[in-house]
Amino acid sequence: MKKKIGGIAAIMLLGLVLLSIRYYEVDLPIWHFLGGGKGPDPATLHLSGEFVESNLGTAEDAEGSLTVRMIAQQYVFVPQCIAIPAGVPVRFRITSADGVHMLSFLGTDYGLKAVPGAVTEASFTFLKPGEFKIPCNEFCGPGHYAMRGQLEVAPRDQFSSLHPEERRTCESR
Amino acid sequence: MSPVNQTASLRTPVRWRATLAVVLLAIPLLWSRGDSSAQQSNAEPPVRVPSNVAWTHETLVLISRGDAFRGLILARRCGHCHGEEGFSAVPAFPNLAGAVRLSFWKQMEDFRSGKRASPVMQEAVAALSTRDSADLAAYYSMLPTASDPQDNRAFPQAMQDPSHAQIAIRLILFGDGQRGIPPCQSCHGPVSYVNGAPLLAHQNGSYLQEQLENFASGSRSNDINVRMRSIARHLKAEERTAVSEYYGAGLGPE
Repeated sequence: MKKKIGGIAAIMLLGLVLLSIRYYEVDLPIWHFLGGGKGPDPATLHLSGEFVESNLGTAEDAEGSLTVRMIAQQYVFVPQCIAIPAGVPVRFRITSADGVHMLSFLGTDYGLKAVPGAVTEASFTFLKPGEFKIPCNEFCGPGHYAMRGQLEVAPRDQFSSLHPEERRTCESR
Repeated sequence: MSPVNQTASLRTPVRWRATLAVVLLAIPLLWSRGDSSAQQSNAEPPVRVPSNVAWTHETLVLISRGDAFRGLILARRCGHCHGEEGFSAVPAFPNLAGAVRLSFWKQMEDFRSGKRASPVMQEAVAALSTRDSADLAAYYSMLPTASDPQDNRAFPQAMQDPSHAQIAIRLILFGDGQRGIPPCQSCHGPVSYVNGAPLLAHQNGSYLQEQLENFASGSRSNDINVRMRSIARHLKAEERTAVSEYYGAGLGPE
C-alpha cells in the first residue's frame, strides 16, 4: 500500500514538473514545442493569420484593450515605429519570420523574445510619455546591431485624438 | 501462496501506475491544444497580401528543379531588353546575369499575379508557367558576371557624384543603427543572405534607384513582411541615390 501511494505521488510530481517547466529563452510552456507547428508558420506570415501586414501595429479591440502585433525579422522590426498611450496596459504579440530576436525597450526592464513558429505575448504598461528605442537584444546575425525600432508613448488624451492610421503605427511621422 | 497468485498481485499496481502516468502525461498535450484554438480565434481576416509567394518547402523544391538548358531556350525572348549575356544595354532595365534563383522566380510570380506592377513584364510572363520561371531562373543564375569587352552592356556606370561614395560605403557595410537601417550587405550578400533578396553587386544603378524610390513611396509593395519598404522609407533621397550609384558603378562588395 505504501509503495502504491509512493508511486502515484511520484508520477503526479513528474506531471506537475512537466506542467511548470517553461522554455527559459521565451517563457513559453515547454510542450508548446513538443507537437511542432502550433504557432504561425514563419514562411507564410504574410499570407494569412494575425500577422498579415495590414494587421500589424497597435490595434484596439471591441472592449477597448490595446494589442500591438509585430514581426521581428532579419534585420528589422515591422512596424519599425509603434505608438501607444501612457498608463494603459498594452498587450504585445510578437513572432519571428526567421531566427530568434528579442524586443527590448531601452531604459526599461521590459523585454520580449521573438521566436519563429511561436507567438510570444506579454502585457506592458508605460507610465510616462516618451520615446523608447527598441534594439534587438539577442544576437541574430551580421545586421544585429543595426536592428532597432522605436516606441512612442503618447499621453492618453493625445493618443485618442490621433488619426487612426497614426495610432496603428507612427512610421509616417 | 501459489506462483500464479504472486504474479497477479505484482502486476496490478504496475498497470495502475502505467495508466496514471499516461493520463498525467496527456494533460499537457490537451492543454496546449486548447491554447492554439484560442489563438486562432484571435486572428483577423487578411486584408492585404504583398505577394502570393511563400518560401515553403514545395516552392523551394520547385525552384531548385529548374532546368538551365530549357531556360536557355526560353531566354531568347528576354535578350532584347535584358541583353544576350544577361547584361542590358539600357541602365533602366535590370541585369539578370548571376541572379539569385529565389529572387528571380519570386519577381516572375509577382509580375504574373500583378503584385508587382509592370505592363511589359506582366505581358512577358503571362505565357510562362511556374516551371518555366524556375528554368529561366536556373539559366540566368548560371550566367557569368565577369566583364566582357565584346558585349554591349551599360553596367559599370561611373558615379554621377563621387562624393556620394562615402555615404554609400557606410550604408552598405554598416547601415545606420541609430535609424534602424541594417547594412545592405547583411541581406543582399556577401556577408549574409535572405530568401528572396537579390544580389546587388552587378545591378544597374538607375534600376536600383527606381526600385528604392518605389519602395519608399509604396508604389512597389511586393516585399514580404514590409522589409524593404520600411528600410527604403528611412533612407534620405540622397542616400538612395548614393547607394544605387555605388552599386551601379560596380563598386559594391560581391
